[in-house]
Amino acid sequence: MDSGTAYGLRLGSPLHDLAQVGQGTGYGEVLRRYWQPVAKSEDATTRPKRLKVLGEELTLFRTRRGEVGLLHPRCIHRGASLYYGGVEDDGIRCCYHGWVFDTEGKCLEQPCEPELGLHRDRVRQPWYPTQEQYGLIWAYMGPPEKKPVLPRYDTFENLPEGEVLIVDDNGVGGGGPALLDFNWLQHWENVMDPFHVPILHARFSGNQFTPEMALIPEVSYEYTPNGVRSIQMRSLGDGRELRRVTEVMFPNLRVVASPKLASGQTNMIGWVVPEDDTSFRIFTIARDADPEFLKKLRSTHEGRPWADLDEADHQRLPGDYEAQKSQGDISLHSEDHLTTTDQGVAMVRRMMAKQVKAVAQGGDPVGVIFDDADVVVPVIGGNYFQGELVTEAQREAVDD
Amino acid sequence: MAKYEALRPSGRRPLLVLGISDVVALEDEAAVKVEVKHVSAWGRWARDVAVPVDAQAVISALGEHFDIVWASEWGHNAHTAFSEALGLPAEPWPFLPVQFDKLAAIRAYARGLPWVWIDGDVVDLHPQAPEFGEGIVVRVDPGVGLSGLDVDALVDRVRGLPGAGGGA
Repeated sequence: MDSGTAYGLRLGSPLHDLAQVGQGTGYGEVLRRYWQPVAKSEDATTRPKRLKVLGEELTLFRTRRGEVGLLHPRCIHRGASLYYGGVEDDGIRCCYHGWVFDTEGKCLEQPCEPELGLHRDRVRQPWYPTQEQYGLIWAYMGPPEKKPVLPRYDTFENLPEGEVLIVDDNGVGGGGPALLDFNWLQHWENVMDPFHVPILHARFSGNQFTPEMALIPEVSYEYTPNGVRSIQMRSLGDGRELRRVTEVMFPNLRVVASPKLASGQTNMIGWVVPEDDTSFRIFTIARDADPEFLKKLRSTHEGRPWADLDEADHQRLPGDYEAQKSQGDISLHSEDHLTTTDQGVAMVRRMMAKQVKAVAQGGDPVGVIFDDADVVVPVIGGNYFQGELVTEAQREAVDD
Repeated sequence: MAKYEALRPSGRRPLLVLGISDVVALEDEAAVKVEVKHVSAWGRWARDVAVPVDAQAVISALGEHFDIVWASEWGHNAHTAFSEALGLPAEPWPFLPVQFDKLAAIRAYARGLPWVWIDGDVVDLHPQAPEFGEGIVVRVDPGVGLSGLDVDALVDRVRGLPGAGGGA
């Protein structure tokens, strides 16, 4: 008699506590305790822009005086969207009855009301605080009393002469479209899965990176104060040894050095920012002498960009997008058979669960910074060939 | 881990279901004496973990009374990785490869055998209490793990469970 057939198959469920991002969800509340990049600075203009972040619809604009505003789009008067509003010197004017709100949601004017609104200072358009840094707009969407400082990252400070900062919101590292149409966690935890590289990115996709990356590495894992780190050792066969250090930093940073093996500390970090439970963007910051660095970094399939592939190509040369998207809109995590290759993924999920509990119990998740003295975050991730360690911290971090 | 069927226990003794992280590998600052052990999964990967110095003795004592089964995200690596650090028998104990909310998997595996489940509370995304008499849940301090566990007292408690039959 046949056994193990699919007859009567019952599928499990996602780990919603970790995967969902809305207000009131487990990890959604964790994500809200950190500043999140929501747009490129150049996208905040006097033309309002629709954003969706962590399941929330928002309107982004820049006043004529240059201040960035990020407001809940539904006008508190009678609900018309501020997306159709007009941006003025100090705020945005609703198209319906002309109420004007500044970047903190304060109502400046109600033109049809006596004296421009006798009670206008008693209403408030819901808003979020923003800052600009590294060419991105950052928003804090959490409880106001818990607002941390906006971190800086040592790899982006004190740029060497000739290097510039580059920002990208087109899904660098996602292997697919700019707006990735599945749950963000499938992408983020993939960062701590080095074993897929020689299979997916070499055996299947056809050496998307370098021949060295096709070697199955020996990996060590460790928790860090703000995430999980993997150190992947590869003997390159020519006497050289490569230590590739990859990190996830909470709540959603991917610290993945160039898979094309530029040596030294990584020159880029990505933020995996959910639009909602089933879509996300990747905001990437890089420093390089070549302003086209991130565009050139995009992986190809036999030399062709992902967008040029037809369905047969996607089947023949699957990459990160095909693998992660096909896990489902939200993967059924309880169906996973976690095994040897999944230690890093399991560590990420475990650390996420700890943060969910910490936040639910009124505590702070790892890595939030409240003291300006700690604002610069050291980044260890990178590709370190023998003898190429740069700083003492890097040496300690990757030292067996 | 719905499509995996673990090796069956002997059925002659109660089950002792062990988590790993927070139990034998302490992740919080240790409040007991620990040794850092370099554990590995067949050389594919390695981790340095803090193991209470008395963990081996506690597990050995538990093994006198229970059929031990791992229940963790370490999957089949659990026994191999900790074999040397904990002086485990060569024949691997069964494993339930489940990371969170493990009670349903434990209940299904036990099939009516009395059980004790020792773990940290991080695994309880949606805490559930066992039904009356089916088993005993022991939640450890993540800085202590199973260090200092009173095995005799635990055995006495299990003997009081319906179906234990004094087998512990």
